[in-house]
Amino acid sequence: MRGPVLALLVATPAAADTAAVVTDHARPGYAAFDDAAARLGAVESCDPQDLRPAFQAAYDAWMAVEHLHLGPAEEDGRAMAILFWPDAKGAGAKAQAALLKEDPAALSLEGLAQQSVAARGLAGLERLLYPQAELPGDGCALIQVTIDDLARQAEVLAAGWGPFGEELLTAGQPGNARFLKPEEATQALFTQLVTGLEFVADRRIGRPLGSFDKPRPDLAEGHASGRAQANITLSLQALRGLAVALSPDSAKTLATFDHAIRLAQGLDDPNLDSIGTPQGWLKLEILQQAVRATRDTAVAELGPALGVELGFNSQDGD
Amino acid sequence: MQRRTFLASLAATLTPRLTWAEVGAPAFLAAGKQGEAFFLHGLSATGESRFQLALPGRGHAAAAHPTLAEAVAFARRPGTFALVIDCATGEIRHHLTPPEGMQFNGHGAYSLDGSLLMTSEVVAETSEGRIGLWDTARYSRLTDWPSHGIGPHEIKRLADGRLAVANGGIRTDPVDRAKLNIPDMRPNLTLLAEDGTLLDQVDLPDFPQNSIRHLALQGDTIAFAMQWEGDPAEAVPQLGLWTPGSAPVLCFPPEAEAYVMQGYAGSIAATDRRILITSPKGGAAMIFDAAGDPVATCRRTDLCGAASHAGGFVLTDGAGAIWSADDAGLSPLATGATQWDNHLVALT
Repeated sequence: MRGPVLALLVATPAAADTAAVVTDHARPGYAAFDDAAARLGAVESCDPQDLRPAFQAAYDAWMAVEHLHLGPAEEDGRAMAILFWPDAKGAGAKAQAALLKEDPAALSLEGLAQQSVAARGLAGLERLLYPQAELPGDGCALIQVTIDDLARQAEVLAAGWGPFGEELLTAGQPGNARFLKPEEATQALFTQLVTGLEFVADRRIGRPLGSFDKPRPDLAEGHASGRAQANITLSLQALRGLAVALSPDSAKTLATFDHAIRLAQGLDDPNLDSIGTPQGWLKLEILQQAVRATRDTAVAELGPALGVELGFNSQDGD
Repeated sequence: MQRRTFLASLAATLTPRLTWAEVGAPAFLAAGKQGEAFFLHGLSATGESRFQLALPGRGHAAAAHPTLAEAVAFARRPGTFALVIDCATGEIRHHLTPPEGMQFNGHGAYSLDGSLLMTSEVVAETSEGRIGLWDTARYSRLTDWPSHGIGPHEIKRLADGRLAVANGGIRTDPVDRAKLNIPDMRPNLTLLAEDGTLLDQVDLPDFPQNSIRHLALQGDTIAFAMQWEGDPAEAVPQLGLWTPGSAPVLCFPPEAEAYVMQGYAGSIAATDRRILITSPKGGAAMIFDAAGDPVATCRRTDLCGAASHAGGFVLTDGAGAIWSADDAGLSPLATGATQWDNHLVALT
């Protein structure tokens, strides 16, 4: 065994930051989501009451990796098929209503995979397990097939991060056509951190925040299942985990993260319903500002520490 | 004209002007940044630099003279100068300045015979579009035409001499570039005759917030690339095809890839059979067939520059890599320390 071990040691190691993200953040995160989705699939019931705890656990697990918009999650629209949000035109509900009116026996895993991504995944399940109105048909078969589809996607993702993780870890080595230099992998992961924070501020907070005169708590992600605040908190915690893996000594960035996470936890408003009041709205806006400050701090501190910048062209606008 | 200026421009005129073949027959021009310095490069078909010339600031796009080794490099918009560069010597032959109150908007095109240069411009205060006309013998300003829209960006000369204009529709603050009319913007695609007469125009009634910005030609069809200014949650097309005389066709990505481009196309190129758009924001390029149906998606961070060459595509990115692209994906051609800017310009 001595030969191969030596060869491994001699191979250029990936940057420490990239290795930590792959082995301590991404792969364990996807494995946990795969487990949680499998546990949801193992519930022998289609009573929403029985399914909700495992659904919530799977949703929690997804929030730990949702921000990683690279690799297997981006292939074949997989991330969208796991959580399609925001659904600006209500496409998911429409597609599901059509499916519920059809013969349940005609529903299959393959058939669902051909449906609009908006009808699938956690957002689709949320509408079935926390219906806002009576379903137009018996939801049992659709619930089952949606769960099976979710579990399959989770499995494919966890498996895909084996080889994709290797591509990140071997960035810059001969034969790696995806990452031509070691710092390209670092830059890709750093970009996930920054765009993830932008997504939290602009969408996860920004869509329900709307405007002072017209707050829209009903537009919050996970509103039907009471997850609006939790999703904000969990995604900030996940992004903090990514920042720690990338650059554990980033004191300023981690301090701004901690401040934002404390504000998110302190909302004490699971569905952001209080943003209908001026005081509640301002609290959420203060959180949005804290998330934007975290983004700016991360760009200023982690970028130089890692020796990478945001994209030369993607930041330019034209 | 002051005597010294006159002599300088006379000298510039008298220097022999070489052809592209005489400067190593580069296939493309591309602006880029190396360290803290900015350059214009002539690149071979395989991405090797054939020459590099210093630029005073970050470039945007260039327009190449059809025969002479001469190019106009435009600053990032809104620009108050453009440089006519002798690509044989690296000398700046002329500094072009738009008339008072006007700004260059990043792109230009030569007439078929190279005797005229056309530049996309705006009236700074209103963003009303103009097409500036320059006599390339001495790069003197001749006149300007209305572009028949707000905020023209790329302009492209068709093989028969007509000019296609992408009027992006966005009114911007003359100083800080803030967008002023997003709720009621109305981009259009305009076709001008060789003498500037308006021949035809189309807009996008279903997607008025999709700014038409970049153009490529495929035979008689004008392929146009768009940048979405509306709700990012909406799935919108980034590509359209317009054959003058018929309605424009909008080309949507497959549903699973509806957000890959993040509503933003940065460059466009076309071969006889394919059209390619890039998105540095999405880190991807999408290839469509001539009917506008999606064929392939390639992923790479910060891809932006795109041009066609010998029936295929060549792309550049902000990390310094140059790629060939086809239906099967990306293959690296070259990599280096130059961060490539928005556009790759084919010399054809």
